[in-house]
Amino acid sequence: MLENVEEEIISIISDVSETDAEEITLDSDLVKNLGINSIKAIEIVVALEKKYKISIRDEDVPKITTPRQIISLTENLITKRATSNV
Amino acid sequence: MSEQHENTYDAIIIGAGIGGLVCGCYLAKAGMKVLIAEQHYQPGGYCTSFKRKGFVFDAAAHSFGGYRYDGNMNKILRGLDLHKRITIKRYDPSDIIISPEYKINFWADLDKTLYELQSAFPDESVKSKDFFNFLTNPTPTDFVALRKKTFKDLLDRYFDDSRLKALLSIPILGNGGLPPSLISAYTGMKIYTEFLLDGGYYPKGGMQVLPNVLAQKFKEFGGELRLSTLVKKIQVENNTVKGVISEKDGFIPSKYVISNCDAKQTFLKFLGKKIVCKELLAKLKNMIPSLSIFVLYLGIDKYFETLPNVGSNVWFLPYYDIENLYLSAKNRNTTDLEYYMVRVSPDGKTILAFVNTPFKSKRYWINNKNNFLEAFMKWIEKNTIPNLSDHIVYKEAATPYTMYRYTLNYKGAAYGWAGTLSQFADSDFKKPSFIQGLFLTGHWTTYAQGIPGVAYQGYDTAKFLLKHEKLTFSKVHTGF
Repeated sequence: MLENVEEEIISIISDVSETDAEEITLDSDLVKNLGINSIKAIEIVVALEKKYKISIRDEDVPKITTPRQIISLTENLITKRATSNV
Repeated sequence: MSEQHENTYDAIIIGAGIGGLVCGCYLAKAGMKVLIAEQHYQPGGYCTSFKRKGFVFDAAAHSFGGYRYDGNMNKILRGLDLHKRITIKRYDPSDIIISPEYKINFWADLDKTLYELQSAFPDESVKSKDFFNFLTNPTPTDFVALRKKTFKDLLDRYFDDSRLKALLSIPILGNGGLPPSLISAYTGMKIYTEFLLDGGYYPKGGMQVLPNVLAQKFKEFGGELRLSTLVKKIQVENNTVKGVISEKDGFIPSKYVISNCDAKQTFLKFLGKKIVCKELLAKLKNMIPSLSIFVLYLGIDKYFETLPNVGSNVWFLPYYDIENLYLSAKNRNTTDLEYYMVRVSPDGKTILAFVNTPFKSKRYWINNKNNFLEAFMKWIEKNTIPNLSDHIVYKEAATPYTMYRYTLNYKGAAYGWAGTLSQFADSDFKKPSFIQGLFLTGHWTTYAQGIPGVAYQGYDTAKFLLKHEKLTFSKVHTGF
């Protein structure tokens, strides 16, 4: 299930940042390289929370500065949700 | 772009408000063939002016923000090379908040504003500094952390004094139509960062100049603006947009349709219940529009002593229970006047004042407009401008029904959907996923408020669409 998460998240970031997916690397800086401003940052987080039915905690928000961090955080939350549902 | 040649237009934008005009300019600049259809006889939406008896009145929007060098309005106008065509002056202070005990000016010099706040509320001195530091240097992640918070949560994090919190909330209530307990922290913060801390800008000649120069530029890029053109339907086949049907011109084909008018009309009238997905129909039923406004327009014989400075928005707060002020505006009866905003126009010849009010009905305002106008004038004379009635040579007012009639905004809503947490950042109102080729922009997207907000949404919609078309802003239309 988690196999596509990376691709899906890159696609969300690509859509919101209006940057081609090929130009986005796992370590691109969301603000400096991809031009993510306040409303776009919210758009990404809201899209992730809706799509994966997760809730990103306030204390984790400042840690999200690259696609790699977003993917890892999202995967952890999905796993946690899956485990707690068992 | 080969398939586009089958279409008369690459994109049709419904509504020539600031969002639609900015979007149209950037699309046309990149080489797309764009039509903007506007039902009114002049462009601008809520950003228009009108003339009566030699006076020029701004209809609703009366100043704008976000024009600092890296502000969105500045970037957008510079991107279109319009900053040279329009003279924009910043009025200082942009806003003045007056209550029975206090007067706080919002100066262009933030330290001066902070000093006034700290002198008025010495116990909250450090917190005031922290609050303004946060507002002036927020990072995108700060906003993300606030996505589930209200503006009240944010104020409570900094302040204890309920009077200070009420004073800081009155421009939020006036510019957003909601009290701090209901408005999202994001929207409240944006009202601060884009309206108050970087506000007070005004184009020489009146607000109408802004849409006029955008419309002119749009035409220079090869765009076509049809005024007095009411769109009745958005044509859809196989979940794909095919064009629009206008009252005057019938079917006009287009690859993309961008609705810069209200979302309720877009989904229920232009598309219809058969086309809109069930989930969105259910959601629409529960969505709440923002409050409308009653606007007073006064022409005066001369600039007289008791008038406030020209170009400053003066907010009057009669008492400090901001939640009650909201409830009383929401359930308003003709004589219940409480908070308001009043402003002397930059040319010193007219006064614009407004109060938030619900839509009620056409009939209600036919019966009550004049009483309301007179009561509002007296209330301003009593609280802000003594001897006002001695100087009035022309008076007129716009009711919520007038707002509706000129813009077709649902229930005359002044700010699109109410900016509550549950109606915030909902992508269904920006890029509805169930129809290919349809976008929404402007203040009904749940992402924007005010002129800088809608201008940014218009720009952002254009950028997104151009990404799909593999076009860039730098490509200039061949016909230009």
